[in-house]
Amino acid sequence: MATVEERIKAVTARVLKLDPDEIKPEHSFTVDLGAESVQSVELVAMFEEEFGIEMDEDAALSVETVGNAVEFIADVCKQQGVEVEQ
Amino acid sequence: MKETKKRHPLVNVREPNLLEGTFPYSLPPLIHFEGPAVEYIDGKAVEFDFAAVKDRDILITDTTFRDGQQARPPYTIDQMVHLYDLMSRLGGPNGVIRQTEFFLYTKNDRETLDRCRALGHKYPECTGWIRAIKGDFRLVREAGLKETGILTSCSDYHIFHKLRFRSRAECMDSYCEVVEAAFEAGVRPRCHLEDVTRADIGGFVLPFIDRLMEMSSRVPEELSAKIRLCDTMGFGISYPGAALPRSIPKLIYKLNHECGVPSDRLEWHGHNDFHKVHANAATAWLYGCGFVNTTLFGFGERTGNPPLESAILEYIALKGDLCGIDTMAITELADYMRSIGLPIPDNYPFVGKAFNTTRAGIHADGLRRDEQIYNIFDTEKLLGRPPRVAITDKSGTDGLVHWVNEFFGLKGEERINKIKMHRLARWVIDQYDEHGRLTAISDQELEAKTKELLPDYWQKFKGG
Repeated sequence: MATVEERIKAVTARVLKLDPDEIKPEHSFTVDLGAESVQSVELVAMFEEEFGIEMDEDAALSVETVGNAVEFIADVCKQQGVEVEQ
Repeated sequence: MKETKKRHPLVNVREPNLLEGTFPYSLPPLIHFEGPAVEYIDGKAVEFDFAAVKDRDILITDTTFRDGQQARPPYTIDQMVHLYDLMSRLGGPNGVIRQTEFFLYTKNDRETLDRCRALGHKYPECTGWIRAIKGDFRLVREAGLKETGILTSCSDYHIFHKLRFRSRAECMDSYCEVVEAAFEAGVRPRCHLEDVTRADIGGFVLPFIDRLMEMSSRVPEELSAKIRLCDTMGFGISYPGAALPRSIPKLIYKLNHECGVPSDRLEWHGHNDFHKVHANAATAWLYGCGFVNTTLFGFGERTGNPPLESAILEYIALKGDLCGIDTMAITELADYMRSIGLPIPDNYPFVGKAFNTTRAGIHADGLRRDEQIYNIFDTEKLLGRPPRVAITDKSGTDGLVHWVNEFFGLKGEERINKIKMHRLARWVIDQYDEHGRLTAISDQELEAKTKELLPDYWQKFKGG
């Protein structure tokens, strides 16, 4: 099973039309990966779909980097009883 | 750098101070005064107590069917009767809209007047408007009216170039003969001082008013002449320090205090040639005029008159109370006017289709958090018009969230968040990025897409 980071990179690559190998944990979704406003919303929606979770809108949209997203989503999965590969 | 004269320490708070004493939201923002206004008149400082307006009688009069009708094809009788009916509801039982004036010349004019009066409303009282011709008082008497406006133009442009009098004295005598005829006919004359803001105030206007006041002193109070100050070309200036004849403060002071025309016989009639029309009318109230003369949606000769609906909201702001006014009638009047072909621009205050519609995403975000951030007052309660968001590529997902939640009528915890709307948001962006669209998305289009892309919510809140 892919790790949280791999799954996040795959979703991000699909939504932002990027090569997953180019996405690094320190990358900012907006500044480095070029996510526009509607794409940020799409990313959160696709993460919810991918992990089968529901995230707080404001908290999720305030996550800046890929690495922060990994931590945030892993934490939400834990809270909502969703098992994931770390 | 200039030396600091006074330091202003930050007043740090953890709870917001929303200044609700001035911005109650349930009413238009209130107007408070901190002290008197000072105007220098003939070298002397004169104080005006604007705060007294809260308790002083100020009222609105209307000329939609006279000046308003000179700017458009005639209304039908049915249309005027309906407008009169709505206007009466708007002004309420206290008669905040105190009078409206009618032409009296044609069979239709007289039938309109009869049918409006047959509605039995106490207010607005019906008054007439005739030329300054003695014979025309027969029309006023036959119509059973107590008051009529008469033209008493007072600039030399009018006296010499339009009316072709040979002297001011000849002109004044002619006007006074007509006023005398009004008295004899038992009709109260309302002298319309046309072009007063371009007239020789000391040389003609004040002497004429002195004479009118002297003539009025010989008749019963209910016949005494009223004075309408007509800013025919929109030249009036509200600023303190402006000179006559354009200064509204000085003009009103001189009539009010030097000639002794009481406020309840003094009226302001403005025009909007320089975009000053509403502020000038409100200024006239503050400096001592009892009445401001208006038209629905400002529709009148050339650039129009003080808008009646703006005067209504100014009235509430000055009085701090609705005073029996039914503000919802403003929206009904606008809808009716549109239905009979009167164009009202989308961005027109209070009634334009987009007057409280935001297009910017950042503003929509504010509306989503709290509608008071970007709504001037409770427009839903007072006008039946909740704040809206028009959807374009600039509206952002926050704009879309506001639109969808308002469409479904969802508030608080029930509101759908933007994450759930990502497909709809993508569709909107693609309209512009992929399809090159240049127009806003209509409500009908968005409804259809909402049904398609948010089917569960549609089922839940629209029932299938």
